[in-house]
Amino acid sequence: MSQPDTEKHLLELRGIHKRFGGVHALRGVDMTIDPGEAYHLLGENGCGKSTVIKVISGVHAPSEGDIILDGTTFDNLSPIQALEAGIETVYQDLSLLPNLTVEENIALGQQLVSGKGRLMRGLNKTLLAETAAEAIRNVGLEPTRKLMKSPTAELPLAIRQRVAIARAIASKARLVIMDEPTTSLTRKEVDALIELVAKLRASNVAVLFVTHKLEESYRIGGQVVVFRDGQCVAQGKIEDYSRADLSKLMTGREIEALRYRQGKPMDGEMVRVRDANSGEAFFDISFSVRKGEILGITGLSDSGRNELAMALAGHLGLSKGSIEIEGKPTRIPSPAAAIELGIGYVPEDRLSEGLFIQKSILENEITLIFNQLTNAFGMINARKGRAEARRISELMTVNTKDIDLPVGALSGGNQQKVLIGRWLSIEPKILVLHGPTVGVDVGSKDSIYRAVQAMAERGISLIIVSDDLPELLQNCDRILVMNRGEMVDELDANTADEKQIYRSMLASRREAAE
Amino acid sequence: MTMVQDMSNTPIPTPEENSPRPSIGELFRRRPELVSLTILIVLCITVAAINPAFLQASSLIDMGRASVVTGLFALGVFAILAAGGIDVSFPAIAALTMYSATLFVINVWPTAPMALIVASTVIGGAGLGALNGWMVHTLKVPSLIVTVGTQYLFRGILLAFIGTVWLMELPPQMIAFGKASLLEFESANGAIVTLPMYFLIFPAAAIVTWYMFNKTLMGRAIFATGGNADVAERLGYDQRIVHVFVFAFTGALAGLAGIIHVCANRMANPFDLVGTEIEVIAAVVLGGARITGGTGTVFGTITGVLLITVVNNSLVLVGIPSTWQRVVVGGFILLAAAFFVKRQQK
Repeated sequence: MSQPDTEKHLLELRGIHKRFGGVHALRGVDMTIDPGEAYHLLGENGCGKSTVIKVISGVHAPSEGDIILDGTTFDNLSPIQALEAGIETVYQDLSLLPNLTVEENIALGQQLVSGKGRLMRGLNKTLLAETAAEAIRNVGLEPTRKLMKSPTAELPLAIRQRVAIARAIASKARLVIMDEPTTSLTRKEVDALIELVAKLRASNVAVLFVTHKLEESYRIGGQVVVFRDGQCVAQGKIEDYSRADLSKLMTGREIEALRYRQGKPMDGEMVRVRDANSGEAFFDISFSVRKGEILGITGLSDSGRNELAMALAGHLGLSKGSIEIEGKPTRIPSPAAAIELGIGYVPEDRLSEGLFIQKSILENEITLIFNQLTNAFGMINARKGRAEARRISELMTVNTKDIDLPVGALSGGNQQKVLIGRWLSIEPKILVLHGPTVGVDVGSKDSIYRAVQAMAERGISLIIVSDDLPELLQNCDRILVMNRGEMVDELDANTADEKQIYRSMLASRREAAE
Repeated sequence: MTMVQDMSNTPIPTPEENSPRPSIGELFRRRPELVSLTILIVLCITVAAINPAFLQASSLIDMGRASVVTGLFALGVFAILAAGGIDVSFPAIAALTMYSATLFVINVWPTAPMALIVASTVIGGAGLGALNGWMVHTLKVPSLIVTVGTQYLFRGILLAFIGTVWLMELPPQMIAFGKASLLEFESANGAIVTLPMYFLIFPAAAIVTWYMFNKTLMGRAIFATGGNADVAERLGYDQRIVHVFVFAFTGALAGLAGIIHVCANRMANPFDLVGTEIEVIAAVVLGGARITGGTGTVFGTITGVLLITVVNNSLVLVGIPSTWQRVVVGGFILLAAAFFVKRQQK
C-alpha cells in the first residue's frame, strides 16, 4: 500500500533536532509517512521515540529541522495545526480528561479544531453528542446515555482505551499515532485493535505505532522505523528485517551473546515464601531463593508481580501465608521492619518513591545509616559518611566524582545507581529490585547489571521484578512468571527464551477469554 | 469515519449497564453539592423551628444582602478551582479597585455616571486578574504562590500609594445605587426593610457564569485544564488563554463585588475585604468543588454561599454566640470533606 517515492508524502521529517536544556533528545531525524501505511516505531527507552511523536503531534517544537506536511514546510506545528491536518495521537496514558464525560472527551476536539482553537465560542451540544455516538459505535461500543455521560475516570481501562481510540477517529484522521497501545490489553482486545487498524488502513489512514512488542508488529505488517540515541537508524518493510536485525539496530550491538549471569547460587536458603496471599492481588504464591541467587519475577502489570514485590518489602501486608528468612518464620509488617530484617527495596518509581531528588548524592547514599553515623549527641560523623558514600559511588560506578551534586542533576541511569547503591551501606541479605532499568539508557543498564552480579557474588539474594524480559534472561538464575495473581511457571533463565515467557504471561488469559 | 464500522464483535461490558436506580449514596457522590444542600435545608428548618423570626422578611432580606459580595467572590473562586488553580488575591483586587475608583470619583469626577464607575472597577479587576493569570502561566509557579504574592502587592500599592483614609462622603449616585430598592417590606416592629436592587447582580452573575461553563467551549476548556493541564495542552486547549481568562474573570467579579460593597456600606474602607478569602474558598468547597480542581457547579457554589451566609446570620437567632460561627463552619467543612472522601474510597 505504500506509495512510490515520487508521490507526495503525508508527512516528512527532515533533520529534526530537539534539545531539552543540556539533553540532545533528537539528533537529526529523517523519516517519511505515507497514507494508508502502518509504521512501527521501535527503539529502547530514552531513544527519542516519545519525543518524535510529540514533535509530530505539535506538543514539542523542534530545535532544528523541517516538518513537511502535505508538501508544506513548517518549522514547528502547534497542537491545533496537527489536529487540523488529521494527526491524532492515542497516548500511552490515553490522555483522557478524567473529569469530563466520554462524550466530551471524544468530540470536543472537533469543535476546538473547527474554530482553530478559539475558546470564546458557543458549544454545540447536539453536534457533540452525534459525533461522539458515531465514534463510539465505530470502536464497537454501544453509545448508551450512561456511558456517554460518565466521567472517564470512572471507567475500566479497556473502555477508556476504546474511548481514546474513538477520539482519534472521531474527526477526519489521516494519521493515528498509538503509543504502546497494547501494554495493558488482553489478547482478545489486542486482536480487536489489530482489526481496527486494518480497517483504518483500508480507508487510507496511516497508523504509527510506538511499540516494543515485535510479535504484534510482525502480525500487523507495514514498515519499521528504528530509533537509537535520538536518530532514525533504519526505515523499511518489516518483513525485510529479522528479530535479530531489529534488536541489533535498536541496541547497536548483538544482545543475544551477552549474559551477565556467570556465577552460581550458593548453598543455603535465604527466603522461603509459602502460600502467600494478599487480597485480590495474588494468591497462594510459594517460592524460595538461595543465598547469592538472582530470581526474576515477571508478568503483565496487573498480574500481581508489583504487589508481590511490595509485600516482600513490607509495603503491603499479607492476608495469608508465611515468609521465612534463613529458616526463621517472620513477618514484614512495614518497610522499617523489612530493613531491620535486611531486606532492601528499590521501588519502580525512583523519583517519587525512592530518591530525595534535591538532596546530594552523599545524603541519598547514606540515608539508611544515619543512625549508625550519629554519636550520643545526635551529631553526624561527616567524615565517615563521606567515606561510605565514596565507597558506594565507586562500587556502583556512579558517573561523577562530586558526591555533593544533587541527585536530580544526574541522568536516569546514574540516579538508579545511587538508589541501588544506597542498600550497599547496610549490606542487606535480600534486595528486591522493582523495574531496575526503567527509563535507563543502554550504557547505564550495563553497569547496573554488573553491579547486580557483583552483589550476588557477595551472597546477597536478589529478586528482580521486571517486565523487561531480556533483562531477566540476562541476569537471573530462575524466572517465575505470574498471571492473574498466580504463579504459573518457573523457568531456568539459562535455557528459557522470550517466547516461552510471553506464552506463560498470557496463557491462562487467552484460555479465560476464549 | 463512516468506513470504520465495527471494531470487533467483542462485547466489552459497559459499566453496570442494567444497574438499578442510583442509591442516595451514589447520588451524593456524583452531586456532592447535594450534601451541602441537605445541610442547608436541615439547618434552616431547625433554626426556623427554634426561632420563627428566622423566616421573617427582615432576616431573609438581611441574608440576601449579605450573600451578594461573598457570592460574587465565590463564583470567581469556583471558576479558578475548576481550572485547577486557587486565588487568594481577589479581596485585594476588590479593595484596590473599589477604593481607587471611589477616590477618583470623589476627587476628580464627582458626576461620573454609575454605570461607568461599575465598568471601571470590573475592567480594572479583570486587568489585575489577567496579570495573575499571565504570571501563573509564564512563570509556571503554582497559583497559590502567585496570588499570595499579588495579594500583598495589590494591598501594598493601595495602602502605600493610594490611601489609608476611610472615604465616608460618597457621591450621590453611589449612595443611590446602594439604596435603590427592589422590594420593600414592613417588618414586625414597623420599620421598613428593603431588598436592594443590587441584589439582582448576584443571580445575574451566576447565570453568566453558568452560561460560560455550560454553553461555551471556554467552560469545557477550563474544566479540561482543571482535570489535567498537561493533557489539555496536548489536546490543543491553549493554556495561556485559559489561565489569563479565568483569572481575569475572577478579577472582574472581584471588582464588581468591591464597588457593591462600597455602595452598600456607604463608605470605602481600604482595610475592608482582605481576610475574607478563606471564608469564600470554604463556601466554594462546601459547594462541592474539589480543591484539586476540575469539578464543581454554579449551583453548588450558590448552595455553599447560602450555607455560609445562613450560618453567619442565623446562629445568633437561636442563641449561639457569633464567636461560634467559625466552629460551625469548620465542622461543616470537615463533615462534608470526610463524607466525600469516604464515598470516593468505596
